[in-house]
Amino acid sequence: MSGTYDVVIIGGGMSGMMAAVALADMGRKIAVVSRGDPVCCLSTGCIDVLAAGNDPLEGIGSLPDNHPYRLVGKDTLTASLEMFRTVMSEECGAYVGDVNANRRILTPLGRHKVTCLVPATMEFADFHSDEYIHVISFNEMKDFYPNYITSRYKNSGCSIFDAGISTTMSIAERFENRQFLEAFISWLKGLDIPEGRIAIPAVLGMHFAVNVYNEISVELGRKVFEIPTLPPSMPGLRLFGGLKNALLKRGVDLYWGKEIYSVEKSGGQIEAVTLAGAGRSARVQGNAFILATGSFVSGGLHASMDAATETAFDLPVYLPGKRKSWFNDDFFAPGHAIEKSGICVDQSFRPVDSRIENLFVCGSILAFSEVMKYGCGHGMAIATGVAAANVCGELA
Amino acid sequence: MNLDFQHCIRCTICVANCPVSRVNPDFPGPKQAGPDAERFRSDNKTSIDKWIRLCNQCKRCEVSCPYGVNPAQIILREQVQYGGKHFRPLASRVFANNYWLGAVNSVIAPIVNRLAPMKFIKRILNIFGISTYLPFPQFHIHTLSRSWRWKGRRESRKKVVLFYGCFLNYNRPDLGRDVRDFLASLGLRVIMPRQVCCGLPALGNGDIETARKFARKNARILAGYIDKGYDVIYTCTSCGLALTQDYPGILEVPHGRKVSENSYNLHEYVLKLMEEHYIEPVFEPFRRKVAYHIPCHLRALGIGYPAAGLFAKIPGLEIVILEDNCCGLSGSYGFKRSNEDTAVRLGITAARAVKDIDPDMLVSDCGACRMQLAHFSGIPAVDPSEILIKSLTTGFEDSRGRVKGRKL
Repeated sequence: MSGTYDVVIIGGGMSGMMAAVALADMGRKIAVVSRGDPVCCLSTGCIDVLAAGNDPLEGIGSLPDNHPYRLVGKDTLTASLEMFRTVMSEECGAYVGDVNANRRILTPLGRHKVTCLVPATMEFADFHSDEYIHVISFNEMKDFYPNYITSRYKNSGCSIFDAGISTTMSIAERFENRQFLEAFISWLKGLDIPEGRIAIPAVLGMHFAVNVYNEISVELGRKVFEIPTLPPSMPGLRLFGGLKNALLKRGVDLYWGKEIYSVEKSGGQIEAVTLAGAGRSARVQGNAFILATGSFVSGGLHASMDAATETAFDLPVYLPGKRKSWFNDDFFAPGHAIEKSGICVDQSFRPVDSRIENLFVCGSILAFSEVMKYGCGHGMAIATGVAAANVCGELA
Repeated sequence: MNLDFQHCIRCTICVANCPVSRVNPDFPGPKQAGPDAERFRSDNKTSIDKWIRLCNQCKRCEVSCPYGVNPAQIILREQVQYGGKHFRPLASRVFANNYWLGAVNSVIAPIVNRLAPMKFIKRILNIFGISTYLPFPQFHIHTLSRSWRWKGRRESRKKVVLFYGCFLNYNRPDLGRDVRDFLASLGLRVIMPRQVCCGLPALGNGDIETARKFARKNARILAGYIDKGYDVIYTCTSCGLALTQDYPGILEVPHGRKVSENSYNLHEYVLKLMEEHYIEPVFEPFRRKVAYHIPCHLRALGIGYPAAGLFAKIPGLEIVILEDNCCGLSGSYGFKRSNEDTAVRLGITAARAVKDIDPDMLVSDCGACRMQLAHFSGIPAVDPSEILIKSLTTGFEDSRGRVKGRKL
């Protein structure tokens, strides 16, 4: 398949998909090209905006001047997160939370993760340590050990349900079966759980998780919440599934499982990309292009011993000084110098020093984003995706 | 040895996309069956992983993998290795040769069609490992291969070969003839040369030799036409996947690359004709709500969803795209007793997604998907080309004065 589009987005992760939603809502004809699914199965499904401090919006002021959030600004950040929430409430369920306040959610290790917006199934995951917590687990469930949690909280208990199967995917699949859900609820009711909250690993269904969650909460009349699990993580998959449906509904063309092998340029413009695959190669032509391929792990950047390259358009990559200077004696020090590397952009999200006028860059491939250090992964992806789309939409 | 499996970072996105491992705990999932186990395999050792046959080759892992690992290909090679070294059950042997099965059945179609639903016949089939939860497709004496082999003016600027595949040939020759006439009505010269099974059923049942025999023959015939300026059009998405991916890939047939690069999905080709302004069709309204179940192999083709692109141009047609479920039948996979439970579970889930939309009809490019989903949802299933033909040729009559297309 080949096609001509207003905007072609390279990268089907959080940033690329939100850029696609924003542009499609402006009435543009959009294509999204992706090498495969984003590694959403590693995501908790929560939106970290800025983990340092209690108020992410306020915290942006203290970030370094070259951080991508500084380019976006507070208004666009708030608007883009609002847009994300609207999309999600139409798809796989509303997100709860406040851009002005971080919240803490329980992890499978019994520790906390600081985040900002969470799926409705995790609304009650931020609790006071005096409150009673009852952890539910499943027989032989892989990579989930309730003792990690109960040993950290004196006021807690645990019960194990036999789902007859042990992987997160298959348990989630069973929860969408009526009889299984009813059996689970009646088992829960039969337990004599003291007054408090009930925590269940995030396996409460795949596509209809909100319905499953609501039914359990209503039937029990308790505050129930999900704990994100080790991969494959259901909340991450739900998030991705919801965004993908939003794109399909908006008539966005998806070129999935395809890699770029050649780029056609003329003057300062990218004209088209050709995608490799079995059979004929597809030629995707666009007036403008958005690069949202992510950093090293997602394959947007590639590192060799002495250099880093950008994999789609061979843009110049910023590296923080010489390799030798990256070493840190403190193993647990937050952030690593390499996190600063990426593509430098100007105020309009165009790559610096590339002389390409119709290319915009967003997401974690941006230089100085330092996603791990600041805990700003999805939030930065959403904000820069929408911001780049805004600039791009005025032109395309 | 292909070392792509070394690129796996164990992100488990393939596992999250695997329909089989979700319902059948005996199958460890594409990560373990593919790149993980591959480290311990060697080309000259006998495969011992019996569960390798449980993979239904839906290729969802391959489409989702962000690192180019292609677990389904690794598993397919292992399935072939396993099939070559172990006794293959009767059902596998029969389905590997479903081309000949169709050929025989079509000759004695009236008898077969009447015998197949009978209880004692079902019981016998069950004994031989063939599952009977689904009604067998109907066979026809007047197959596509026994129909008029060309249509359209010889001097047409564009010429196409129609690779119709076994399902259209034996089970839906009426639709095949409609597609042939439809293509001719677009101003194309259409030819349906002698052709055999694409080879995918044999490959899926672990018999690479038979698959290669079929593929060689097809590739020789198709390449001859391609050299004369013809394009190849396929309607079955699984045939298409074999032509584009497996001919130059695992089957390594001569002219494989040529066939791969010149084969088009029917709807993709119609869109291409429109883009090139070869045709300027006027779409007649078709006021229905349809659920479009995307076959796994259409996703794997990586050509997007061309039929959906055409549907978007039909006034009054409301479509909902469903691409997250595998129907579970997977060609002959679900017709084997050993896979029946998996197929039924997946079928029920996929059918529920269709029913949730409450459509007037369900659409799918794949004959197997249609059979399975129509059975579990009770909603009539049609091929996208039936709607397309309906919309583009309303009032169009063939030489016998018959209005084209089935009543929808």
